[in-house]
Amino acid sequence: MTDTRMLDQGTQPIRFARGWHCLGLASDFADGKPHAVQGFGTKLVVWQGGNGELNVLDGYCRHMGGDLTQGEVKGDHIACPFHDWRWGGDGKCKEIPYARRVPLRARTQRYETVVRNGQLLMWHDPEGSAADHELLPPELPDVMTDKYTPWSWHTKEINGSHCRELIDNVADMAHFYYVHFAFPTSFRNIFDGHTATQFMESKGRPDTMGGGYGDENSTLKSVATYYGPSYMINWLEVDYKGFITEVILINCHIPTGPTSFTLQYGISVRKPEGLDEKTCAYIAERYTESFGDGFLQDVAIWENKVAVQNPLLCEEDGPVYQLRRWYEQFYVDVADIAPEMTDRFEFEVDTTKANEYWHAEVADNLAKRAAAEADAEAAAPADA
Amino acid sequence: MASFVPTSDETLEDLRRYTEDRLVDVACLDCLAQVRVKKNSDHQTSVQWSAEARADCQEFQRRGQAPGGRDVHKPCSRLMASIDDAVRAGAVPIGAYDGY
Repeated sequence: MTDTRMLDQGTQPIRFARGWHCLGLASDFADGKPHAVQGFGTKLVVWQGGNGELNVLDGYCRHMGGDLTQGEVKGDHIACPFHDWRWGGDGKCKEIPYARRVPLRARTQRYETVVRNGQLLMWHDPEGSAADHELLPPELPDVMTDKYTPWSWHTKEINGSHCRELIDNVADMAHFYYVHFAFPTSFRNIFDGHTATQFMESKGRPDTMGGGYGDENSTLKSVATYYGPSYMINWLEVDYKGFITEVILINCHIPTGPTSFTLQYGISVRKPEGLDEKTCAYIAERYTESFGDGFLQDVAIWENKVAVQNPLLCEEDGPVYQLRRWYEQFYVDVADIAPEMTDRFEFEVDTTKANEYWHAEVADNLAKRAAAEADAEAAAPADA
Repeated sequence: MASFVPTSDETLEDLRRYTEDRLVDVACLDCLAQVRVKKNSDHQTSVQWSAEARADCQEFQRRGQAPGGRDVHKPCSRLMASIDDAVRAGAVPIGAYDGY
């Protein structure tokens, strides 16, 4: 035995989380064509039938494995490009145009869907339970009306990381300073039932040129709640030089493999009163860009780090063990959910010392920058 | 069975240490709720609820069970005041032990 601490990388779960997962904006699937979505270790086919229903099935035909995403929507059904077997949104084969009858066992994997806040959500459960509508994320009042800008929606594939890396951020106070260039001045978590919430207030660092959280002229009040394993609503109040904007950020993902997932995020901004449409759209685009940059900052870390089952924590860190205990509920059978996974837990991080040290570091960085600029200026006339 | 499986017993010990160590019982002064509390510093507080305490809390009862609103995610102000009281009375030791 040595005193050296070992990183326990653990093993990845062999299943995908139970719960509601967002596949994207409902309107993007509503063109009467089949759409392919990578997810849950397979390819899914998503289509809107003639009846207006959005359907999700496993992407591969149970006949001979044809790729349904390359098929055609015929009436309410998806037709396989290989032999024209027609599948309904309920997972049953409805018709085989060249056959006397459809085999009774012609059922494929189907997923229940709901459209919420303009997004298509599907229920995934390895145990095959019926969708639990009690666990849906809440409806967002006024979003999708002319009070808010339309969703600006983006997708990013992440390889080499389990999606728990993304969840870990909920409890990670200090990374906001180092990765997102902001001072987190207040930081709290509450885990309760199937929800996990982060309350944060932050102010941008003046010594970095970072977008996202890192603008020195902006302070942020953020409430971000995961409703289940993969769908987070982040209510943000951004104060930019006294001009306050309400931003809603959706941060969601679909696991695609044991160490890969597709990150999706969408932004809708409450239109500030008295501004014309063009200016509102411009503001929404700027926020989309800066929070998009924020995700890229995280991605750079995830793509290079290792998994760790035994994080070593200091006093200023958030409750990552409790967060992971909460997250575990979505990976075990419903019968195996332990009380501590869902019991309410509250945690307030002490940010006072951290901010003291960080302000000193930033002041130092600014002094060094000023000195370098003064040197450059002093040297300039000699070069001229 | 756990889905994220640690490969070392020490990891399980860490898990216990970070989630269970040094939690002290604190009862709400206004209702029957009793929670477990840990304070690593004046400003840091962990509050571990149980299902019973969650059901006993009058404030949470008032806010309702529906997860729709953002209110349910806020702490109970009466319980937080009770914790402050317990801290003042010296019932909750303040200080971290090697980061936990």
